[in-house]
Amino acid sequence: MFHTTFYVRRLHSLVGLLALGMVLFEHIFTNSMALGGAPALNGALAMMELIPHPIFLGLEIGAIATPLLFHAIYGIYICLQAKNNPGRYGYVRNWQFALQRWTAWFLVVFLVWHVFYLRILTKGIAGVPISYELLQNYFVANPAYALLYIIGMFAAIFHFCNGITTFCMTWGIAKGPRVQNVVSALSMGLCAVLCLVTLAFMGSYFVM
Amino acid sequence: MAEQKKVRFIIERQDGPDSAPYTQEFDVDYRPGLNVVAALMEIQKNPVTVDGKKVAPVVWECNCLEKVCGACMMVINGKARQACCSLIDNLEQPIRLQPARTFPVIRDLLIDRSVMFESLKRIQGWVEVDGSWEVKDAPIQNPYTAQTAYEISHCMTCGCCMEACPNVGPQSDFIGPSPTVQAYLFNLHPLGKFDAPKRLNALMEKGGITSCGNSQNCVQACPKNIKLTTYLAQLNRDVNKQALKNIFNH
Repeated sequence: MFHTTFYVRRLHSLVGLLALGMVLFEHIFTNSMALGGAPALNGALAMMELIPHPIFLGLEIGAIATPLLFHAIYGIYICLQAKNNPGRYGYVRNWQFALQRWTAWFLVVFLVWHVFYLRILTKGIAGVPISYELLQNYFVANPAYALLYIIGMFAAIFHFCNGITTFCMTWGIAKGPRVQNVVSALSMGLCAVLCLVTLAFMGSYFVM
Repeated sequence: MAEQKKVRFIIERQDGPDSAPYTQEFDVDYRPGLNVVAALMEIQKNPVTVDGKKVAPVVWECNCLEKVCGACMMVINGKARQACCSLIDNLEQPIRLQPARTFPVIRDLLIDRSVMFESLKRIQGWVEVDGSWEVKDAPIQNPYTAQTAYEISHCMTCGCCMEACPNVGPQSDFIGPSPTVQAYLFNLHPLGKFDAPKRLNALMEKGGITSCGNSQNCVQACPKNIKLTTYLAQLNRDVNKQALKNIFNH
C-alpha cells in the first residue's frame, strides 16, 4: 500500500511551511535592511555573495526553484478542486480558505514576473548585481511596480501565515476549536507584523 | 377580517437530471410555526405560481419531519439546511429554495445522495461481527469515548456538510466531511477498532482526508452539531501515525 496522494499532499504542506517559509523570511530579512539605507542593504547582499557561486546556485535550484515549482504546480491542482463559496458561507475560516487560493493564483503570476525580471533578466542575463540603488531606481521610476511588489509580498505573507494554521490542522497538531483559534490568531498576528515590516522597507525607498 | 399574510417562495426548479434550471415563485398563506416542508406541502396542494399559472407540483424529499432522517436537506436562502426544521419566522423573505447542487439533481429539489453511501462503503463504515453475545458478555464501549461516539453517531448523511464544503462537488473527488468522520466513529467501537488500519489506509487514498482544505464550513453547517473539524484533525493525526507504521513496520 503506497498512497501517492497522501505523501504528495503532505510533502506539499511541508515544503510550503519549511522551504518556502524560509525563502519568505530570507526575503523579508534581507529587504528590511533597506531601512538602514544603501550601505546596510548592499552590505547584506555582499554577505550573500560570500557564499561560493556553485553552492549558491545549487541552493537556488535545490532549495528555492524546485520546492517552489512543486508547490505551485501541485497547488494549482489543489486550487482547481475547490469551488470557493465565502459569499454563501461567510465564516472567517472560509474567507481564509478562499484567500489562500486567490493569493495562490496571484502569486503564481507575480513570482513568474519577479523571478524572470530580477533574477533571470537583470542579474542573470544582463549581469547587473542587485543593489539598493537598482531597487530604488526601479521602484521610484515605476510606483505601480512598487505597489504590485507590496501586494505580492502581502499575498505571500498571508498565504504563508494562513498556511501555518492549516498546517497545524492538517498534521493533527491543533485538534480542538480553542487551540485552532489560538494558532489562527497568532499566525494572523504574525501576518500583520510582517506586512507592516514590508510596508516600512518598501516605503523607505521613497523617503530616503 | 385582517388580510391573510403571505410568504413568498422563489424556487429553483429543474424538470430532469439533464434539463436546464428555471425559477418559479409561489405565495403560501402564513401561519404561526410554518416551516419550509409544510409550505412545500401547501404548494403541492395548489401548485399555482404568483402569476396564476398552474404548474407541476414541486418535487422534494422528506421523511421524519423532526431533523433525524436528513432527507429534506436543501439550500434555503443560500445555505444548506433541513427544510423540516427551518421555521419561516426565522428566515428572511422572500425565501429562496434551491437543490443542493453538490449532488446530482434528479428533479426540482430532489437530489441523489447515493455518493455518500458509496463513500461509507469505501471507508468501511460498519463493524465486522462474527457472532453475537448476551448483553452482559458483549464488549463494552470505552466510557471515556462513548460520548464522542454517540455524538458522531447522530450523523444522518443529510449532506449539509457536503454542500457547504468548497472541496466537495463535481470538480473534486473528496468524499467529504461526513463519511470521513464516520471512520473515526467505527474506529472508536470496541470491535470496529480492529479494522482501524484498514479505514485509515482508505482515508489516505485519493479523495480521502488529504482533500480536506480546512475551510471548516462543515462544522458550521452540521445540523446535528457534530464537531467535524475536531474529528478531522484527530483523523489527520491517526493517518500520519498509520503512514509511519506503513513505512517502518515492513
